[in-house]
Amino acid sequence: MIQSIDYVAIGAPLALASAAGLVLLLDVFLPRRTPGALGLVALAGVLVAGGLVAAQAAGGGERRTFCVPASGAGPGDGCSFVVDGFTLVLSGLVLGAGVVVVLLSMTELAERRIPPGEWYFLLLCALTGAVLLPAARDLATLVVALELVSLPVFALTALKRYDGRASEAALKLFLVSVVSTAVMLFGVSLLYGLTGTLHLDRLSAALSAVPGASGVVAVAVVLVLAGFAFKVAAVPFHFWAGDVYQGAPVPVAALLSVVSKAAGFAGLILILTTGLREQAALWGPVIAVVSALTMTAGNVLALRQRAALRLLAWSSVAQSGYILAPLAVVGGNAFAASVAYLVIYAAMNLGAFAVVMPVSRTAARNELDDYRGLASRRPVAAVALAFFLVCLAGLPPGLAGLFAKVVVFRQIVEGGLGWLAVVMAVNTVIGLYYYISWTARLFAPAPSGPGRVPAAPMPVSASVAVGLAVLVTLAFSVAPQLVLSASG
Amino acid sequence: MSGYFGSYLVVAILLGTGLAIVAGALLVNRLLRPHRPTPEKLLTYECGVDPVGEGWAQSQVRYYVFTYLYVVFAVDAVFLFPWATVFAAPGFGVTTLVEMFVFLIFIALGILYAWRKRVLTWT
Repeated sequence: MIQSIDYVAIGAPLALASAAGLVLLLDVFLPRRTPGALGLVALAGVLVAGGLVAAQAAGGGERRTFCVPASGAGPGDGCSFVVDGFTLVLSGLVLGAGVVVVLLSMTELAERRIPPGEWYFLLLCALTGAVLLPAARDLATLVVALELVSLPVFALTALKRYDGRASEAALKLFLVSVVSTAVMLFGVSLLYGLTGTLHLDRLSAALSAVPGASGVVAVAVVLVLAGFAFKVAAVPFHFWAGDVYQGAPVPVAALLSVVSKAAGFAGLILILTTGLREQAALWGPVIAVVSALTMTAGNVLALRQRAALRLLAWSSVAQSGYILAPLAVVGGNAFAASVAYLVIYAAMNLGAFAVVMPVSRTAARNELDDYRGLASRRPVAAVALAFFLVCLAGLPPGLAGLFAKVVVFRQIVEGGLGWLAVVMAVNTVIGLYYYISWTARLFAPAPSGPGRVPAAPMPVSASVAVGLAVLVTLAFSVAPQLVLSASG
Repeated sequence: MSGYFGSYLVVAILLGTGLAIVAGALLVNRLLRPHRPTPEKLLTYECGVDPVGEGWAQSQVRYYVFTYLYVVFAVDAVFLFPWATVFAAPGFGVTTLVEMFVFLIFIALGILYAWRKRVLTWT
């Protein structure tokens, strides 16, 4: 039988996918390669999708489509695609991040060394997957959407073909990601084999009903968790982060650290809180330990970094640990704290990348020492970067980061995970060191060596990206209830 | 013919028939054709290519792109076959037909791209 499709529900991914196809066609049929025009088309696509998400949020209610009629398979109506509050918040996050990444891409592509059509096509494909993922409510859709996020990113990383480090990064990312997908598919196939259902809302009850299979269930759960741990760069699957962030073009690193990570967490939250809800006793402790190890490893590794992008890579690993922490609280609505942290983290981290981007064009190695005296060369950019770093550290002027941390602390303390709260507090202090030492470099006097390049004017698109990130982070600092109520 | 091993008799007969057909075809060939060997004719070959060199063979990198395009359409066919069995059944109709063509258009984007990027010309 033909399924009826709710085109309003799938509007956002549809708009992105159409924009991707349009960009590809324009690239091959337009007479001259025009990175600017293609960038504007891509930007328009992301904005239209964002408008659709905003309209759905304003309209309220919940939309379901691709439903399988209820049968003997169990409770739940078996819909594969659901647009609810969770979906809208994460789609909004992804699309907001998409706007910033497209703006940064315009700066990156202005050098005309990277083919623009392919770049924007792949970027829009990855965004399509990331918008699709929070709406996915069955295991097959989830895996396909997650791959749609991952696959274009390898190619995006490798598009900087003149740079050997980019190829190395792409290969590492490819191998790690493919292995993680394989591991996750093992877990997914075990879950399907045990229950005979792919729909998340039917999975949990069906798993509880399987007699004497707790061993297999545990293996399946751990395999699925391992797959997602790769995607969000959680310990022990975090090694790829440093090399890949440094080798990839800066907009792709931003995409990896925000969009890809948000997609990974969306999938993780969906599987844990819907599909494996009644198996929480099994995965709760695992998540708690992984979270503690991730934040510690990320922060300790970040302490020794001299390159800006490597520092951001390990700092984003540490932030993954903070986002994981509320998920370890079994039951209740604790995952809302993760979503809130994710949204605020996205804004401040994208801001940091947006400032690092133009600096990376004048300083090839992009080391922390290249930021010395940035305050005298580019005062606005320096103040913006300082603001984002202070936010990431969670210090008072950057209230957004502080609120995010407080929300997470409250959830894990209320959830009875006191030891995790202590680990997180210690880690926050470790994090202060490297964020603040970078901030201090911004305002230190510039080294007066020869060959110092005078600061070129900031490219317009990068300035707009920084401005957007500053506005959003400021809004979250002044009115954190925007995020907290939406994600709760 | 009945009994447990009876069904294996069918397999044996089929095997024998197959051997007889192949051997018969080769035999008839041998009887009918003239026999004038030259060194080139006696050379072993595989798909028209001389088996020269080592087991580690290099091939044109351009084949890679063609393989890629082939895979696009092979995947296509995987979806087309089950569709072809049902689209005429009652309850499907025009919507199903249109949906498949929407899918084909998306796949065709790939070939369009390859054509415009001059992948399809050999030189």
